[in-house]
Parts: sequence; C-alpha cells; structure tokens
Amino acid sequence: MFIYNKKLQYPVKIDKPNPRLASIIISQYGGPDGELGASLRYLSQRYSMPFDELKGLLTDIGTEELGHLEMIGAIVHQLTRNMKDSQIQDSAFAPYFVDHTAGVYPTAASGFPWNAASIAVKGDPIADLTEDLAAEQKARVTYDNILRLSDDPDVNNVIKFLREREVVHFQRFGEAMQLLREKLNQKNVYCMNPAIDM
Amino acid sequence: MMDLKKTGQHGGYGRLPATAPLANPYVPFQYEDPPKYEPRTAIVRGTLFPGLDLPFMNKVNKNELPVTPLTELQTLGFVIQELALYLDTHRDDKEAFEVFKDFQKLYAKGREQYEKECGPLTHMSAMEHGYSWLNDPWPWEYAANREV
Repeated sequence: MFIYNKKLQYPVKIDKPNPRLASIIISQYGGPDGELGASLRYLSQRYSMPFDELKGLLTDIGTEELGHLEMIGAIVHQLTRNMKDSQIQDSAFAPYFVDHTAGVYPTAASGFPWNAASIAVKGDPIADLTEDLAAEQKARVTYDNILRLSDDPDVNNVIKFLREREVVHFQRFGEAMQLLREKLNQKNVYCMNPAIDM
Repeated sequence: MMDLKKTGQHGGYGRLPATAPLANPYVPFQYEDPPKYEPRTAIVRGTLFPGLDLPFMNKVNKNELPVTPLTELQTLGFVIQELALYLDTHRDDKEAFEVFKDFQKLYAKGREQYEKECGPLTHMSAMEHGYSWLNDPWPWEYAANREV
C-alpha cells in the first residue's frame, strides 16, 4: 500500500507568481511525457515483470515519480497564487484559467487532457523496459525545453533536479535490461516472452 | 578498419564480446562503489553520483538549500532513494549497502527531530497535541518552507 509522507522530495519555494510559466510546466503534470504518465507506466508494468530486481526497480522508480508529480503540482500551484487579473488577461495562461482557474489539472501544455494512450504496458519485459528508456529521454527533453523557456531561478533549480532524476532513471532501466538479458537464452533473447513463458 | 586492440574488443570501450546478443539496447553498468557527492551537494544536483551528473547546457545547480529540519530530512531521504535505486541493480555491492544502512540510521534520527519540531509525517507518527496531522502548511504550499 501507499502511505502519504507529508513532505516533498525536494523543496519548492517560488517567490514570484508567473502564470505564463505555469501554463508550460503543467505539461509535466498531465502531458504525454509527464510525471503522472511516468508513475502509472512503471507501477502498471511491474505486475508482468519476472525477477525481483525488475519488480523492485519499477516499484521504486514509479513511487518516486508520484513524488515528482506532487512537486510539479506544487510548482504550478505556487506560480498561480496571488495572481492579478492583468497577469491572467495578458498571458498564455488565459485558456487554462477559463477551464481550471488556479486549480491543478492533468493536461498537456497544448491543452490535451492526460491520456493513457501516452503510456504503454506491453506485458513483455524487453519491450516494456525499452519503452521506459525512451520515456526517460522524452521527459528529460521536456525539462530541457522548460529550461529554455524559463528564467526564474526558483523554478529552474527544481526543474534541473527533476531533469537529472530522468538521467539516473535511464541508467537504472538500462542496467535492469542487462540483468534481464543475463537470465535469457544468450543465443536468442527473443525466443519467448519471459513474462509468461518462464 | 578500427583497431580492435585499441578500442578494447572485450568491453570497456563500448564494444561487446562477440558472443553478446545482438539487436538489443545496451547501457553500460555503473561500476561498483562509485564516487559520491556529499549529501547536501547530491540533493541540489539531483544525483549522488558525479558520473551520472549530466546537466543541460552544463548549467549546474549551485544553490544551497537552507539548513532546516525539513531540508535535513529531504537530504537524507534523497541519499537513501538514490542508493536504493543503485542497489536495485547492484544488490551485491556490499560497500554501498553499508552506506545505505548508515543513512537509514541517520534518517531515523532526523525524522524523530523533524516530527518533534514540525509535526507528523504520516498517520503512524505520534501526535501528542491533538490531531496535528491536519495542521498547515501542507507540503505544496509556499509556507512549507518556513525557516524554523
């Protein structure tokens, strides 16, 4: 089961409201490569994983991603507190504001609501771990792009932390793939699906 | 032709042994007992391991977190999380496991101190002054960063 820990993984303290920036960063809450998708992808893939290292790693990274979802929610919340009407009217935040006010809703920056079609659970460990490697890269690039679009150091410190976590997760998924491969037929790693044929 | 002696035919420089399975993605394994940052550097960098610290445009986080019971606990918790993911794929690294256990002890102490000053972290925590679970601030709020 999950037990709530009443603290963030890394502190979020944003002095200046900036609704324009919130309208971009919301993509890591509910966008195609965001933290909601990441946590659901890993926590769902683990059921069909053989081998304890793979079950453990997907549980641990999936759980950390839930913590990252909360941090992104905190950033969006703090960027949209005490907004003045003029800040909303003149900003890219207006289309989001009309639907969600200062609430935090899982949507992509482009306005598309969160969709399970942006994640995959194939039920084959090599396919799923390969998906996870790509997912970490896509999340990293999204954070790169946010860093290009933001000049607020309070925000960027947190974004850089989250971006670096994607690099670490990529490394661990790559190692997990190697651990899996060592247990398969060395002449033909694709001779069966270890999730159901072992 | 590439000089196989120079590039290391049997691994180490990106080449794999001739018997390795093909058509499969490879990520090199992190060496055992890798160099580590100090905990307070690790958390702002987002990794415990200098070898994995690969910042965008080489812009590194140089900020220091204010020293509070909360950031102390976040720092210790971060080192434990990072070591846990490392141990998930390096379960036989005894040195890393010893460091992991040392940080677990530090975390237990830090947690006790934090809860005494700032309130319960979970429903399982002791609550001596009424149902303090509900007390503001909640973690996502600006006020959660108060310096005690």
